[in-house]
Amino acid sequence: MRKIGKAFYTVGFFLVFVLLGSPFSWAQSNVSVEASLSQTTVYTGERVSLSISISGNFNNVSRPELPQFENFRLLSDNPSTSRSYRYVNGQSTVSYTYSYYLIAQKQGEYQIPSVSVSIDGETYTTDTIPVNVIDQSESATSDDSSGRPDIFLKLEVSDKQPVTGQQVITDVILYFRDGLEVNSYQPVPGWKAEGFWKEELENSGRPRAESTVLNGIRYRKARLLQFSLFPTKSGELEISPYKIVVAVRSARSGNDPFSSFFSGFGSNQREVELSSDPITVDVQSLSPTDDATYIGAVGNFDISRSISTSNALVGESIEIETRVRGSGNIPLISKPNYNLPEGLEIYEPQENTRLNRRNSTISGSKSFTDVIIARSPGNYTIPAKKVSYYNASRNQYITTTLEALTFSIDENPEAIAGSESSGQFPVSPITGLASWVVLSPEPANLLGLWWFWTGLIIPLIIGGGAYWRKSYADKMETDTAFARSVKASDKAQQRLEDAVDVSEQGDIKQAYNLLQKAITGFISDRLNMPEAGLSNQDYIDALKEQNIEENLVKNVHMLLEKCATISYAPDTTHAYLKSHVGLAESTLEKLQKVL
Amino acid sequence: MFTNRFSKIFLFLFLFGGFTTLSFAQQNPQALFDDANEMIQKDNYQQALSLYQKLEDRNTVSGALYLNMGISYQRIDSLGVAKYYFLKASQFEETEQQAKKALEFVESRFSRQSAVLPKLPWDIATDWLQEHVGAQNLLLIGIITLNIGIFIFIAYWFLQVYPNALRIVGLSFVVAALFIITSSFYTQYISDRYSKAVMVTEKVPVLEEPSEEASIVSRAYEGYTFTVDHRRSQSEQEWTYVRMSNGLYGWIPNSEILIL
Repeated sequence: MRKIGKAFYTVGFFLVFVLLGSPFSWAQSNVSVEASLSQTTVYTGERVSLSISISGNFNNVSRPELPQFENFRLLSDNPSTSRSYRYVNGQSTVSYTYSYYLIAQKQGEYQIPSVSVSIDGETYTTDTIPVNVIDQSESATSDDSSGRPDIFLKLEVSDKQPVTGQQVITDVILYFRDGLEVNSYQPVPGWKAEGFWKEELENSGRPRAESTVLNGIRYRKARLLQFSLFPTKSGELEISPYKIVVAVRSARSGNDPFSSFFSGFGSNQREVELSSDPITVDVQSLSPTDDATYIGAVGNFDISRSISTSNALVGESIEIETRVRGSGNIPLISKPNYNLPEGLEIYEPQENTRLNRRNSTISGSKSFTDVIIARSPGNYTIPAKKVSYYNASRNQYITTTLEALTFSIDENPEAIAGSESSGQFPVSPITGLASWVVLSPEPANLLGLWWFWTGLIIPLIIGGGAYWRKSYADKMETDTAFARSVKASDKAQQRLEDAVDVSEQGDIKQAYNLLQKAITGFISDRLNMPEAGLSNQDYIDALKEQNIEENLVKNVHMLLEKCATISYAPDTTHAYLKSHVGLAESTLEKLQKVL
Repeated sequence: MFTNRFSKIFLFLFLFGGFTTLSFAQQNPQALFDDANEMIQKDNYQQALSLYQKLEDRNTVSGALYLNMGISYQRIDSLGVAKYYFLKASQFEETEQQAKKALEFVESRFSRQSAVLPKLPWDIATDWLQEHVGAQNLLLIGIITLNIGIFIFIAYWFLQVYPNALRIVGLSFVVAALFIITSSFYTQYISDRYSKAVMVTEKVPVLEEPSEEASIVSRAYEGYTFTVDHRRSQSEQEWTYVRMSNGLYGWIPNSEILIL
């Protein structure tokens, strides 16, 4: 019983100590003491402000113990003091700021020594601050001082001789003389950095102007934007000029170094477009690596590999994730190739990239997920793999060994029952009779097929003949002269036969009349002359115009004369007519050839 | 004397006849096929393949021959060659279904699966015509259609019944015939110029130029199918110009593929 009570008190004391002591120790560890100078480049005789900022959760703080300032004169031991109090998420924070004024006395580069502060009994010291004191009279006579404009833009790179893939931090800095106030700025879109992969970095807060001296002239400078550039090839690469449009106005007093970068609008405000000078960067190529382990990464990385499970069934997917974390050219990193054992199906890897653009650097992670499926049971081992990346700060390749991954695959009982494709081959050999085909060694040539040409030519011939026949029939129907000319011979022949028939019946006159019609009809049909109303002489004249042979014309003339005068010859016989019909037939045959 | 001569002639005829019968039996494709099938049943796949190969070398083939060759290669774990023969067997009606089942199985066993670019509609139509109709049959259909069209058109000239209908039908037949004939020649052209091929070795790079030093277009793995361009490949003895199933083009050594 006593033992139990003693133990209870012991535990209670421990809990009280932990609960009360831990906030106390946390508060102690969250106190920060920082020293800052209003400007780190000052003229001789110029006043500069030294601020000691103390913040955190504490109870008692002493006034800073100032050291001896060599080459600086302290204006007063009594600082101006400001105090603030914040309460956020249950945590209170107190801030004290002590400000002293120093006057630079001698030209040179010095260090503002550490300042000690006692807080709740503990002593804190600040870091030393480098400061450059220049002689105003000497720097003002510098040749270069007169060439600089009152406001200009400048690109500043962290390294002008990087290696391929190295992260180069590029600041877009605005310089402007005291007396000018910048109200706003707007980047001109379209800036390109050819030969680089670029990422804009995130900067918290608004740009803050700092005082600086360039060739004896006091300027204020502010970093407007910040980029990470990763050269993708070696050689001299030029970063093209960056352009912004700034709204600027003349200020009434530009001496206050702590004034905000952005000031209010004034009546004398104007907009100017500023362009930085281009910068040439000499990109060094990476030293050749001995093996194929390099994955294209330049920076500082931690590379690891893991497997989703060490035991799976046949047909189940297993994921192998390769993760690269750190800062550098993360999106340009390629997946390491693994030698997978036989019997594994591999699918296209999935890539996932996460970038962090804060803290003036590109950091984050890139993961590659290989999906593999085993098709048969057993134990599998993916052998260890060496991968390397280039560390630019150490100027060497860093090699990491990814440990071997082992996993076992068991038979899938559901797959065996449900799918024949999972295990057993689904087809058996054909062992019976087969139907055989003898392959032709030469490929078929369509143009060498006889039936192709036959099937093409025959319809063309038939079509051609039919077309001729159709045209003939159409002409016979539409062209009267043509039709008379074609039918002239048959018509004449028919009349001659009729003449013979009539003659046999004893009507000689009618027979000769038909003979005359046969001859004149033939001539008029062939020469497209009127069918009636013409004299024999008209026919003879028409023949002569056609340059017909003279004897033939004479025969025609004689026959026509006979036909006209036969009425006056009472003893004309049938035989006589037949002789004239014969002559007419031969004459018309000859005429047919020449007309 | 007569009996003696008769005996000699009989003996000669018997031996000659027996010899020819024997030699015929050795050359008969079905007998050779049966011998090879026995080898398969004894799990002697190499011996079976050498017998099957004799038949194939003689250009005496069948769907069953190709199917059994594919099965034999699958058993000796040459999946690329197995796929090649299953594709051949699938071109025969009697073994088409079995070959497709076997192909599905073999495809699932390849360690790498390649993406397949969808074919254009015109290519699909041409493939269908090649596979199901054939250029010669298509040409025959076109010639017959052309003749029918011309005769209908001639009828339109001379017959007075439904002249407009005859003219339109005749012209339609002629136009259709010309289209079919053109398609047959195009199908033949595609068939002559392009062939399907199967990758039969484990892994090989596909190169931009027909040279070992040329830059790599892609890597090909066993079982990948290609479209071989015979016309472009003519200039090279040892190399073949191929189109991969994902649309990339390149050169591959002849020894790595089998052309269907």
